[in-house]
Amino acid sequence: MDDSARRLLQRIMRRIPAQMLKPTLDKWGRLTAAQRQSMDFTESKWALTEKLLAICEENEMTVKHITELEMIHVIENPDHCMWYALQLMDPEEDVHSVELTQFKEQFKSHLRELIRHVSIKIKKHTDEAVWIRIAWGDSFSRPNHLKPTYVVHHLQTPYVFVTSLTSKLKPLLSQALVLSTRYQAIKDASLSGRKLTAIRDLLMRQYQQVFPTKYPSPLAENDQNASNILINKEQAELAASRHQKAREAFGDGMLPQLQSAVYKLETKFRDHTNKTMTEREEAFRCVVKFASTNLLESLRHCASSGIASTPGTSLLSSIPLKGRNYFVITDNSPGPSSQTRQPSN
Amino acid sequence: MERLQSSVVRTPPNSTVVQRRSKSYRQSYRSCLGAPSRLGLTPGLTARRLNSSRRALKSHVITEKVNPEHLALLVKTEWRLSYVTPLHQFRHTQLKRYSRQLSAFIAAEKQQGVAMEVEGSQSGFRVSFSVVQGLAATDDDAETVLIQIYSTPVFARQDEPQKSVWSGWLTCINGNPEYLESLPKGFTCLPLFGGSGAEVLTSLVKSWFQRTFDCCFGPLEINHTSLQWLAALWTNCHTESNLQHLKMIWTLPVVPPLQVTYTVNPQDAWELWMSVRKDRLERTEEEAEAGSIDIEEVVRFVQGLKSHFYRHFRLDLSAGNLNQVSTTLGSAKSSGKIKISNSRYMITTLTLLTECALLKMPI
Repeated sequence: MDDSARRLLQRIMRRIPAQMLKPTLDKWGRLTAAQRQSMDFTESKWALTEKLLAICEENEMTVKHITELEMIHVIENPDHCMWYALQLMDPEEDVHSVELTQFKEQFKSHLRELIRHVSIKIKKHTDEAVWIRIAWGDSFSRPNHLKPTYVVHHLQTPYVFVTSLTSKLKPLLSQALVLSTRYQAIKDASLSGRKLTAIRDLLMRQYQQVFPTKYPSPLAENDQNASNILINKEQAELAASRHQKAREAFGDGMLPQLQSAVYKLETKFRDHTNKTMTEREEAFRCVVKFASTNLLESLRHCASSGIASTPGTSLLSSIPLKGRNYFVITDNSPGPSSQTRQPSN
Repeated sequence: MERLQSSVVRTPPNSTVVQRRSKSYRQSYRSCLGAPSRLGLTPGLTARRLNSSRRALKSHVITEKVNPEHLALLVKTEWRLSYVTPLHQFRHTQLKRYSRQLSAFIAAEKQQGVAMEVEGSQSGFRVSFSVVQGLAATDDDAETVLIQIYSTPVFARQDEPQKSVWSGWLTCINGNPEYLESLPKGFTCLPLFGGSGAEVLTSLVKSWFQRTFDCCFGPLEINHTSLQWLAALWTNCHTESNLQHLKMIWTLPVVPPLQVTYTVNPQDAWELWMSVRKDRLERTEEEAEAGSIDIEEVVRFVQGLKSHFYRHFRLDLSAGNLNQVSTTLGSAKSSGKIKISNSRYMITTLTLLTECALLKMPI
């Protein structure tokens, strides 16, 4: 086992939390029953790492085998790195006939054409997602397994999620993806976050949506805050309609756990109390960043508690509507309520 | 702000007590601000707040007046602020003695078992008190005192530079002259304290001061009015020193809490500020007012920023708390942390903070 394989194994062992070690190693399936028994999972992680290194030496494992272990871990816990969403554009006619084996072969061959030294591993996960691990090398050096890029693509959707990717390598990956999926172009979807599940759910609208209806049924209010009956009677209708609008704008139940949204504003300053600034020709440049442990939950609460008024037409509702969390707003761009996304099929 | 308001309501019953004591004890700071109120029962209701107008941030080139080493230390660190009540029998001439006493105190506490997280548990501490000359703005201000604690490792070489593990200072810049003059003899007023380093050492230094000089320390938060003042004062300096950005951080009280970071291009912020000032300068014709800034202008400036935000997001930032204001000139957090990154504006920023400290003192 060479040095890079040892380093990679040590790094993976550091990343995997102690309680996940046994299930991950079992899933990997490269240890014999005797070796599995010899690992005492109550020992410290450092001791276990040494033990595992010894076992891998015994089995004469190579870097390829170790990368399998890493991939298993990342697929189980995708939330430790930043994910960026990309969207494939302009499908060709035969886009629907792309199936797994064809995609795998095409992707590997296209990427290998573009860059000589590259190590690709493709795995299909249970929920229709194809996971790709890419270790990049260049014309002089072997692939660097310590800085891999992970790509997740759901076949039959135009969405692709990638982790760290330098700007030099991005066009190569984009080209390979476009050719193997039978689309014509790929663009940045302006959506990023730490939780893969969250950005995937947001983009593919896999959370509970509430559609506007003309006669919404009355919400069942819980009576915990029934302090003053008269106040509650006055406020009940207003509160109910605020709740309904909040749910229409952001969704119901558990919302995808997005952490932040960034708006770059380049619009003119307009305030009737300040004549000088309103007459100014240039844009008022500022950047606003919203951050929270669960951003959509916070925004929904802003809408239902009244801190945010008219949530349906504000820029904030564009986050779930358009499935993005990076926006550049200028005076010429259309308002948020006038655009909807094309449904993906 | 709630604290200020509640104590305004409280002061009427207390004011009579204060008046009786004022002959032999130091006067309440608040009673000084409203001179006529000293005689009457109603306290200076109007006086119980920060100055509503102050001189514009003048850049004071203090690099010549102040020791550059001291200045470098003051400028590159983020300080945690406290207010301090006046010190009894503090002598600027006795600093060497105080250094020895504080070192001994820290060593004694360590022996008693107070845990110190400073690296090198075997090392001792050497304390150094020094005077930072040149910061005091008026004759009434006491000179700023700087305290530094170095760790002395047991097996140190002769020429090894000692590592500073804690620093702090006490200062009074442009303190209210009426109050300072009303202090009885023997009291030195250095109401603003800043410390940076291990929390254990900060509390040891504070308890030593409390024992030796019969004073009281308390946390000094920077309330949102002061933060707005700093935002406006710093923006005012954009022509002299490039701000690079005006960043404000609000927290909205939703579940889970939402943090909004609003970063404005400095040139645009400055133009907004100037437009607010222009309106006011046009209305008042007096030239003498041109150098000073009113609280109304500050409020209108921040209100303008908030309304631009509202126009886009339909979120009223007033529903939240302003937690932090920062530019390249410095950053201020509502929890009471300040960093002054440019020495030119140190005097005026410290003046504002001295005022906050004097106001927050319980007597």
